[in-house]
Amino acid sequence: MAPKPVRMAVDGKEITAAPAGDGCWTLTSDAGIERVWAVGTSERSWVFHDGRVYVLENRASRRGSRGHSISNTLTAPMPATVRTVLVKVGDEVAEGETLVVLEAMKMELPLRAPKAGRVAEIRCAPGELVQPGVTLVELS
Amino acid sequence: MFRRVLVANRGEIAIRIIRTCRELGIESVAVYSDADAGAAHVAAADRAIRIGPAAPGESYLKADAIIDAARQSGAEAVHPGYGFLSENAAFAAACADATLVFIGPPADAISRMGSKIEARRLMSGAGVPVVPGEAPKDQTTAALLAAAERVGFPMLVKPSSGGGGIGMREVYKREDAEAAFDAARRDAEGAFGNGTLYVERLVRRPRHVEIQIFADDRDEVVSLFERECSLQRRHQKVIEESPSPAMTPELRQAMSEAAVAAARACGYTNAGTVEFLLDESGEGTRFYFLEMNTRLQVEHPVTEQVLGLDLVRAQLMVAAGQGLPWRQDQLRQRGHAIECRVYAEDPASGFLPQSGPLWLYREPAGPGVRVDSGFREGDTIAVHYDPLIAKLIVSAESRTTALHRLERCLREFPILGIRTNVPFLLALVRHPDVRAGRLDTGLIDREIERLVAESTPADPVPPAVAAAASLADTNRRSPTASPIGDDPWTTLGGWRN
Repeated sequence: MAPKPVRMAVDGKEITAAPAGDGCWTLTSDAGIERVWAVGTSERSWVFHDGRVYVLENRASRRGSRGHSISNTLTAPMPATVRTVLVKVGDEVAEGETLVVLEAMKMELPLRAPKAGRVAEIRCAPGELVQPGVTLVELS
Repeated sequence: MFRRVLVANRGEIAIRIIRTCRELGIESVAVYSDADAGAAHVAAADRAIRIGPAAPGESYLKADAIIDAARQSGAEAVHPGYGFLSENAAFAAACADATLVFIGPPADAISRMGSKIEARRLMSGAGVPVVPGEAPKDQTTAALLAAAERVGFPMLVKPSSGGGGIGMREVYKREDAEAAFDAARRDAEGAFGNGTLYVERLVRRPRHVEIQIFADDRDEVVSLFERECSLQRRHQKVIEESPSPAMTPELRQAMSEAAVAAARACGYTNAGTVEFLLDESGEGTRFYFLEMNTRLQVEHPVTEQVLGLDLVRAQLMVAAGQGLPWRQDQLRQRGHAIECRVYAEDPASGFLPQSGPLWLYREPAGPGVRVDSGFREGDTIAVHYDPLIAKLIVSAESRTTALHRLERCLREFPILGIRTNVPFLLALVRHPDVRAGRLDTGLIDREIERLVAESTPADPVPPAVAAAASLADTNRRSPTASPIGDDPWTTLGGWRN
């Protein structure tokens, strides 16, 4: 049985969403008929609309991330290989000093200290493949 | 013809070569690194052989591992694709030593064209116009300065080795020349271990127009006419088209003759591209030899669409000693073709390469639409390699209709889960200078802020997007369920970029 269209309101405007295939929707409103593609997880949704891409975080995960301090840690922004670690435990570092150099897709990516401090822990080694969000260096 | 061919590459070009092999009844052998064990090119081939770990230096660039794989599989020939080992003369020679046919030019033609100074000397001798310039034997600052004065200002200082614009410097005044020589020499020594420099006249706002040539071992050389590749970002081509909006029949004839002379001068066989700068300043249009690419180019489909032929098929035929499948008088351009390169990169953060999953990947289709892709929905773009996802090629009866078709296709090319340059390409295709065909190699870098601004998401988020986002959460697993169910009039909001 074909899935039923969904009626909803966005900012006071009525929109009817009809499924148009896996991940694709036909939306009808006063603005006309628009085709959108969307996928998502519990944290964020990706939407393709008229040649542009929107990455939207949902409210629940936004609440969860608020207040989380990142200032003591250096994390990987993308999947990458650790090329060099320029500091050792106990080093005093200045804000903005390069601590680790990552390499991804033939590009070097220097990671800098978010603030001044002492290196408390190093959690990566040259040659290691790291995933986004993984802590590489801990400052105290 | 060969019975079995090893394809020493990955991604879209490996798949593209495998498809032609299948049409010719040739068995294809793919090679893969550990990161690519489940890749689309492995699935596309008749058989596949592991060649090493993920790092290119330990797999796709490792000549002996590839030659071992070819031997082990019983392949008679190796197609290198582009990049990796395609312009490595030592690899071409090693294939010959292992009695494997290298599908490309002879090793000595590759090495002759690999040095810019040597290529320049060879081309001048063959009567191919080169940018007025000098490569002084005496590399002292005084001798370079004297050469610069003979060439005239503004001028360009370039290292003899290497590429990608490394070490190149524009010099507008005599008093800035000395500092530019020192800096260029330092860069060239650091990057290529060779500080040899040459100076040439700076062509302002040039177009990049290249001629596709093809040569066989029976002394036939043909021109497959031009591709214009002026739309580049930092020397990296973004959009290519044919015919060039700047072309006239007389200029096409002259450039074709020069390109064929270039191929003959270096003893070329198989597919090659002679790149030229087009100088439209002053009276008339002049063209100058830039370099020769001794391989199949990324943008070769543009030529295939406009001429209605298969360049990889011709490569296999020529390598197998069967000669060229066409004569010059059978080759005609018809209509217009445009290619754009879809990259996993984020224009909003300085075009940083992206890696991650293709949660949703749907290619546009329709008449005159070709997508050469290396990935499928559900695949992951790995960090180790070039971030090219696919090439979108459209063809139509005129440049205007081709541009409309390209715009339509980009609006119907959803790629979700990873950032891509699709919105940027759309902004570029809509730019008035691109529409009008007023192209030069600096256009993208000059207009970059405007183009990036036009490719960022609309703010506030359009209602359709907010609605779709709410439908997306569970959509992948169960298309019938939505987070708000069938409950009408649920008020949404609170979404942010």
